[in-house]
Amino acid sequence: MSLHARWRRARAAAIGTVTIGLLATGCGGSSGGSSTDPDTLIVYTGLAGQWQRNYNPYSPESIEGIGSIYEPLFFFNIARQDEPTSRLGTEFAWNDDGTELAITLREGVTWSDGEAFDAEDVAFTFDMIRDTPAFNSFGFDGSTEVVDANNVLVSFEEPSYMDAPQLLGKTYVVPEHIWSGIEEPETDIMADPIGTGPFRLGNFEPQAFTLEANPDYWDGEPDLKNVRYVALSGNQAGADALAAGEIDWQTGPVPDIANFERNHEGYKSITIPMNQMVLATCSNVELGCEGPQTDPAVRHAIFHAMDRDVLNSLAFQDTASEISPGFALPERDAAYVSAQLENRVANGSADTAQSEEILEAAGYQRGSDGIYAKDGVKLELSVRVVTGWTDYITAVNTMAEQLNEAGIKLNVNQASWNETTDARNSGNFQLAIDSLYPGASPDPYYVYYQFFHSQSTKPVGESANPNWARYANDEVDEALEELSQLDPDAGQDVRQPFYDTIQANIEQDMPYIPILVGGTTSQFNSGKFTGWPTDVNLYAFPAVWSRPDQSQIFANLKPAGE
Amino acid sequence: MRYYVRKLGFYLVALWAALTLNFFIPRMMPGNPVDALLGKLQQRGGQIGPEVRESYEVLLGTNDGEPLWNQYFSYLGNLFRGDLGVATSAFPAEVTDVIGQSLPWTIGLVGIATLLSFVLGVVLGAVVGWRRGSWLDSLVPATTVLSAVPYFWLALIFVLVFSSNLGWFPLNLGYDVALPTGWNWEFISSVIEHGTLPALTIVVSSVGGWLLGMRNMMVSTISEDYILTAQAKGLRDRRIMTRYAARNAVLPSVAGFAISLGFVVSGSIVTEQVFSYPGIGSQLLQAVQNSDYALMQGIFLVITLAVLGANLVVDLLYGAIDPRTRVEN
Repeated sequence: MSLHARWRRARAAAIGTVTIGLLATGCGGSSGGSSTDPDTLIVYTGLAGQWQRNYNPYSPESIEGIGSIYEPLFFFNIARQDEPTSRLGTEFAWNDDGTELAITLREGVTWSDGEAFDAEDVAFTFDMIRDTPAFNSFGFDGSTEVVDANNVLVSFEEPSYMDAPQLLGKTYVVPEHIWSGIEEPETDIMADPIGTGPFRLGNFEPQAFTLEANPDYWDGEPDLKNVRYVALSGNQAGADALAAGEIDWQTGPVPDIANFERNHEGYKSITIPMNQMVLATCSNVELGCEGPQTDPAVRHAIFHAMDRDVLNSLAFQDTASEISPGFALPERDAAYVSAQLENRVANGSADTAQSEEILEAAGYQRGSDGIYAKDGVKLELSVRVVTGWTDYITAVNTMAEQLNEAGIKLNVNQASWNETTDARNSGNFQLAIDSLYPGASPDPYYVYYQFFHSQSTKPVGESANPNWARYANDEVDEALEELSQLDPDAGQDVRQPFYDTIQANIEQDMPYIPILVGGTTSQFNSGKFTGWPTDVNLYAFPAVWSRPDQSQIFANLKPAGE
Repeated sequence: MRYYVRKLGFYLVALWAALTLNFFIPRMMPGNPVDALLGKLQQRGGQIGPEVRESYEVLLGTNDGEPLWNQYFSYLGNLFRGDLGVATSAFPAEVTDVIGQSLPWTIGLVGIATLLSFVLGVVLGAVVGWRRGSWLDSLVPATTVLSAVPYFWLALIFVLVFSSNLGWFPLNLGYDVALPTGWNWEFISSVIEHGTLPALTIVVSSVGGWLLGMRNMMVSTISEDYILTAQAKGLRDRRIMTRYAARNAVLPSVAGFAISLGFVVSGSIVTEQVFSYPGIGSQLLQAVQNSDYALMQGIFLVITLAVLGANLVVDLLYGAIDPRTRVEN
């Protein structure tokens, strides 16, 4: 289950209860809270509970440090189609068949303990990733060679173009002189992290810790002097603290988002479409799925019978945006959206006639109660949703009414996050509302690879993460294999035919029924700091929990008073 | 002596039963810690292939296929050594560290609030019971209504009025995080300032129960013959109320108080949630949400020990202060 979604959901969950607490929002209101000083940025990541000291960038429970203390070689902006930004690396190039990656490193960089950074550190980091199963999240199997102090060569057995964003953008270089002495890097919490990044760890307490600007940073000491991470109990506490002006940046729910900027003086809100909300279906009979949703006609009928405009305003405060049945983001990936799609984007209002036509052509007949049936079996489906995620619950309840109009009965099945996730991963569901999350770079390839490649799935009963739909289509698999052999810089005309094939297939099969693209909403204090990302200058994905995006933003902020 | 031996034996059996349930119940829950970790990784924008899942199973050792019975015996063994394992929701921190970090806050806040509530409830209850039929009786419905209001609602209203609107109290956290921690007045006063409102909500919502119980016991005690005797002897009213009536009437409340002390360590999940207070209740919630069995077991263990311990102390004390309970028929 994507936590992106999980937090957005918790956000909405909060809204219900919060509204009470948040009537206060409008009234403003100050509080005898934290003393603030003008060059300290106070952030809340949405994570509930206290901090447990852990600055190991490869630990799943790392609390901070990715990008801010430890740096990647390049920064890949997933919010728009940008060239990678240089961090510790200055250039990278593939050889002709995609098996060798030459990386040039920045000169004159030092670790925060004064030692010099060089190619040995990079090679050490890559080797450690390869040799430590717990760190190797993308199956890295390349070998490294230090050419000279500023050049590293990584060789692969097979063309590995598509590993570059992970290797270059999501691998954080650690100092060899310290880490080589650590016996079990998996379980070391790096209590006093040494990195090359723009920030260093300051004071740590379980309820708050501070990052301090690194005066020796290679790009000059950041203007933002301190970042304080506070520990609150969840989105409601976050929204309250935001209303009281006690935090400067959070990503999460606020009630009455349309009037947020008017109600919060000096604050701005930004919504970025990123996670594609879908009704995942257990679609593959061969892998053990059962139920009416295994019939593509039913999935298409549901697709057409949704009234997305109504869903957006009732469930998502109009923060969601249109989705393409080919699952390329209509805005960011506009160039990838296939011309061969039947529908470039999903219909806004319901098209019940089309839905009925599809069902009738597939042999369904409307019963006396208005619900379609085939061979005596009523068209009745259950949809799983997590208890408390009120925006999803509102969405499926509204959908149930809309589909009822079109002769499809939808039963909403609420259960705890654990149970819903377990059911979804093991294939024990008919429909489940969820989101497809993006990959390491702004290329729809990663969504396709993760959610539509047969390699990412398992038969019902085993845990499939994340191809929950159990989708398997040879044409899609083949096109993905071809794409992985192609240099992403080879040009759109070479790669697009494969994207066309994939999109045409997944629109036709529709293992995930597209709903809308969910917006990730962040609020920040633009009265206290300048340099935030905006709709026109979206230099990083502005979610405070998104790493290393947050470090790009930290480095770009300036106290407004100066 | 036999009385005490029997009591101790009973508590040992209860402890074993609690520990066993403590082991099995979390394992019947759906979900597993690997999925929770994967969720966190995805939230950071990681690419999640099948490899990641395997690597985390390796990391957490959740896939070693050890039979449940072996796990159970090694669990009991580790408990005796005080080793509660690693908290997967705070990997690689030890459960004992996580609990040690939160427990003092909870005991401080909920402990003081419970004590205040008890003292206030018993004193008021004694007075109200003594002057039954007077205007003071209206205190009973007033406080019971406050107890009957759902606690989360009451707490949210308090936050809205006293923190958000009036700004008298801080909104959240256990102290002003901009201050360095230490035993200095600035820090301590900040802790007190941050704890006042949460403590107030606990007192307001629980004082009614103590008051009602004490008042009713007072009323029935007053009709006892020895009160009449005391009055006939011409003792001062006040002396009769405190030394004769209240002293006997408070016995059941003392038992109740000892038991509620046991529950102090379980904290108040809702209080800590509403006020973002850094206690054990919010840790428990996190543990459940992350399928962190080790941490759940650790917290349940602490709660179990505290409740059993408090009960044991009451049982033993009660034998001393009320000799009637020791007599066998």
